[in-house]
Amino acid sequence: MLDPESFVEYGVLAGATAQVMDDSPADGLVAGAGRIAGQPVVAGSYDYNVANGTQSDRNQRKLGRLIFLARKHRWPLILFVDGDGARPGDHQPGPPVVVMPRGRWDVYDGMAELSGWVPTVTILSGRALDGNAGIAMLSDCVIATKDSAFGSWVESEPVLRSVEDYAKTGNVELVVDDDEAAIAAARQYLCYFLSDVSEGAPSSGHDDIGDIIPDNRRRPYDMRKVITAFADADSVMELGAKWGRSMVTAFARLEGRAIGIFANQPKSPLAGAIDVDAADKVARFIELCDVYGFPLVSFVDNPGYMVGPQAEREGMARHHARPLSALHHRTVPLCSVQIRKAYGLGPFAMSGWGSGRTVPELRLAWPTVESGGMSLEGAAYLVKRKEIHAAESKAEALAIRDEYAETMRDMASGLRAGRSFAFDDIVHPAETRGRISAILQRIPRTLGAEKKHPVDPH
Amino acid sequence: MDQKLIDALKGARETRTDSSRADVVTEVHRRGRMTARERLASLLDEGSAVEYGSIAGQTKDGEWIAETGGVDFVGTINGQVVIASSTDYTDRGGGYGAGRLGRLFSLAHEHRWPLVFFVDGGGSRAQHPRSGQGHIEFAGPVGRFTIVDGNAELSGWVPTIAIVSGPSFAGHASLAAFSDFLVATKGSSIGLGGPPMVEAALGKRISANELAGAEMHETKGGIDLLVDDDGAAIDAARRYLAYYEDHPTGPAADSASSIDALVPEEGPYDMLPVVEALVDADSLFQLRPRFAPGLITALARLDGRTVGVLANQPLVDDGAIDNDSATKISRFVELCDAYEYPLVALVDTPGCVSNWQLKGSPDTVEPGITRWHTRPIMAHQHRTVPLFSILVRRGRGLGPALMTGYSSAKGVPALCLGWPTMEVDHRDGFSTTTYSKAIDDVVAPSETREKLSRILRHLKRDLSQPEKKHTIDSW
Repeated sequence: MLDPESFVEYGVLAGATAQVMDDSPADGLVAGAGRIAGQPVVAGSYDYNVANGTQSDRNQRKLGRLIFLARKHRWPLILFVDGDGARPGDHQPGPPVVVMPRGRWDVYDGMAELSGWVPTVTILSGRALDGNAGIAMLSDCVIATKDSAFGSWVESEPVLRSVEDYAKTGNVELVVDDDEAAIAAARQYLCYFLSDVSEGAPSSGHDDIGDIIPDNRRRPYDMRKVITAFADADSVMELGAKWGRSMVTAFARLEGRAIGIFANQPKSPLAGAIDVDAADKVARFIELCDVYGFPLVSFVDNPGYMVGPQAEREGMARHHARPLSALHHRTVPLCSVQIRKAYGLGPFAMSGWGSGRTVPELRLAWPTVESGGMSLEGAAYLVKRKEIHAAESKAEALAIRDEYAETMRDMASGLRAGRSFAFDDIVHPAETRGRISAILQRIPRTLGAEKKHPVDPH
Repeated sequence: MDQKLIDALKGARETRTDSSRADVVTEVHRRGRMTARERLASLLDEGSAVEYGSIAGQTKDGEWIAETGGVDFVGTINGQVVIASSTDYTDRGGGYGAGRLGRLFSLAHEHRWPLVFFVDGGGSRAQHPRSGQGHIEFAGPVGRFTIVDGNAELSGWVPTIAIVSGPSFAGHASLAAFSDFLVATKGSSIGLGGPPMVEAALGKRISANELAGAEMHETKGGIDLLVDDDGAAIDAARRYLAYYEDHPTGPAADSASSIDALVPEEGPYDMLPVVEALVDADSLFQLRPRFAPGLITALARLDGRTVGVLANQPLVDDGAIDNDSATKISRFVELCDAYEYPLVALVDTPGCVSNWQLKGSPDTVEPGITRWHTRPIMAHQHRTVPLFSILVRRGRGLGPALMTGYSSAKGVPALCLGWPTMEVDHRDGFSTTTYSKAIDDVVAPSETREKLSRILRHLKRDLSQPEKKHTIDSW
C-alpha cells in the first residue's frame, strides 16, 4: 500500500512486558509513518495472527501515537482494522478505552478529533468486533472485502453482520473483491486529497455527453454515464453506491483537480427522488468535501424530496434539512448543472441558493431543463382538478392535464429559464466541462489552519 | 397632515384585525383553535408586542390587498425579547411571503433574539404573485437572510421554536423541521409533501393526519413534544424558552431526601424518578419523551442553573443504546452545547445495539455498532460546555463514551462521579475497562445534588462568543 521504502515503523518491539518470552510480534499492530504518492501518511494494520488482532494497552498506545502524529502534521490515517476487540486478560492496568481524566488523545476520541482535519480510511478484510469495529465506524471511509463482517461479542460468541448489510445502510463506502482491490481503492481515495495532478484529459465520451439524455423527456438515463463523460478520463470513484441509490456521490477530477460530484440518479427505484437515505448520504458527502477542500459539482434531475406516508414515517421532514444545512455552511465552491427537473425543495438540496453566508459559484442548465414548484403534470392536475374529474374518459382527463402541463412547460423551461435568469446560463452539454473548469481555476483549493467541522458519521 | 391619510392608515389596519372578520373568527373558535393574533397575544407578555408589517400586502391591478398570510411581532416572554410570528391559515392556507420571514430571521440573527413561530399551512402559494410559479421567492431585500438559509443560519445561534397546530406541509414543514424545539398539537400533521402532492405523485388519497400525523412523529422522533392544543403548545414554548435564562437558586424536589432508595443493586428500575429527585422541584422538562424511550433527554434546573440531562432508562431494553437513542443523544448534546447548558449524564447501560431494517429481511436488534453510534462521540468531542457524569450502575462497552464523551474532548468532563451501586472491574468484549479509574469521587445519591450545584457555581455560563459554534443537526 505504501510507497516503496517509505515505511518507518513505530513500536516494533512492543509486546507483553510481563512475559520473558514474548510471542506477540509488535503486540498485534504493525504501525508507522509512510508515504502514498510521495505524500506522508500514517498507516497501521492489526495482525490477526497475533492474539486475533485484539486491542491491548500497548497497541492502543501505538495507535494513539499515530493519531497524534496525524493530527499534528495533518497526515492522513489508514488502518486495517481486522481484530476481535479488546484482548482478554491484557495485564496492563488503565487501558485507554475509558473516560478518565488524563488529558490526551487515545484511539476513539483521537479518531473523532481527526474527523474533518485529516482523511481517515479503514480497511476490513476479515472480521472486526467491538473496539476494532468502533475505529472503522469513526473513520471517513470504510473499504471492506466482500466476505468480511463487523460484529460484537455476546457471552463469548461473536455476533456477525456482513459488510454488505453495512454497505446498504450507509456504514461502509466500498465493498471490494480482495485485499489487493482494497489497497488500490484506499490509495485512490487518498490520492484525491494528497495530490492535484496538473492536467487531466477529457473522457472519450465527453463530446457526446448530451447524447446520454434521451429525447423523450419521460425516459430515464444513467446519471453515472453523465458523470463519467464530464470528469477527466478514468478519474471517477463512486462512494456509497449501495445505499441511498437515488443519489450518486463520487470523487473525481476535473482538469486534474480533485472535486466532489453529487447527482440525482433518474435510473434508480425512486427515479431520483431524494429520500431519507439520499438526504443523509449527500449531507455527509458535502461535509466531507467541505473539509477536504474539494469543490462540489452537482448534476440535477429530481422530482423533489420523496413524498408519501412511508417517507414521512422515516422522518423526511427532519432529514430533508440536513443537505440544506450542509450546503449553507460549506465554504468550498459549488457549481450545479440542471439537466431536466428539480421540483419543490429539490433544487435547494442540489444547487444551493443565494444567501447571507454563501452563494453557489455557478448555476448552469442544459436546454432540456424544466422549472416548476412541483411536477408540471402534478401541478396541472391540481389546477385543473375540477375539469379533470368532470372528464368523461380517462383519456380526456389525461389530455386536459397534459395540455395544461405543456402550457406551463413553455412558460418556464429551456431557454426561458435562462432569459428569466433562473440560471447563470443555459449551455450546450459539451460546454459544461469547460465552463466549470474555467470558474474553478479561479478559486484555488485552500485548507484552513483549523478544522472547519467534523464530518458527521451518518 | 391630511386627516384622510391617517384615516386611510387606520382603515387599512382595521382590515387585518380579528374584529373585522367575525365570521372567520367564529369558525376558528368553533374548531377549538385560536386565530393568529390570539396565539401571539397569549404567547407574549402583555404590552410588549411591536407589530411588523401591520398593513403589509400587495397591489394587484391597482388594488391593494391586505394579506401576508401571517402576523409578526417583536415582543417579550417572561421579560426576554423574542421574535414571534404566526402564519394565518385562514388566509389562503397560511402561505408565506419569503421577504417577510427573511426580515424576521435577519432581526433574530442580528440581535440573537429567540424566534417562536406557528407554522401551519401548505407551503408557498400555488400562484405566487411575483414568480407566478408557486415557488418560494428568495430575493428578499429586507435582510441578510431569507427562508431556507435563514433557518439554517439561526440553528445553533438563537433558540428557534416552532409550533404546529394544524396541517403543516412543504415549506411550512421545512421551517418546522429546522427548529430546535418543535411542538405539535394532537391531530396536527407535519410532512414534506401534503395530501394533494401525494395524490398527484402517487395517486393516493389520504388525510393529512394519516399521512404524517403528529402522533406518529411523537414516537418516530419527528417532533420534540406532543401537546393537546394551542394553549398547551404556548405554555410549552414559554417553558422551553425560560431555560435560556438561569435562576439564582432553586428548590430541591420533595423526593430528594429519598433518592438513596431509588436505585437497586440489581434488576430494572425507573430512571425518571431518580432524575426528578436530583434536579430542582418540578424543573424536569423532557424532550422527545416517547422517541427512543431507552434514553432520557431533558432540560432541568440544578439550584437554579439550567442543565441538560442525559440518562439511560433501564426500564426500556435494559438501557441499551440503539440507533435512535444514539441520534437522540447527539442532537441533544449539540443543542446544549450551542446554548451553553451544562450536561449531566446518568450512566447505566449495557452498551450499544444496532437496529437492522433491510428490505426482504425481518427487522432485528442485535449487539454491535454502526455509524449512528459514533455520532454522539463526535458531538461530545467537539462540545465545549461542561459535562458531569454519574456512573449509576453499569457503563459497559462503548456505552459510556456515547453518554459522556472522552476526557480529551474540548469539554473535558468537569466532574465524574460514581454512586456506590456502580459496577467496578467489569470486563466486556469491547474493552477491558476498569471504570473505577475514571471516577473523580464516589458519592451517595443524596450527596450528588449539592456537589453538582457547587461546581456549577464555579463554572460561568458564557454566551458572548461572536459566532455560533456549530449548527444543531435536525436529526
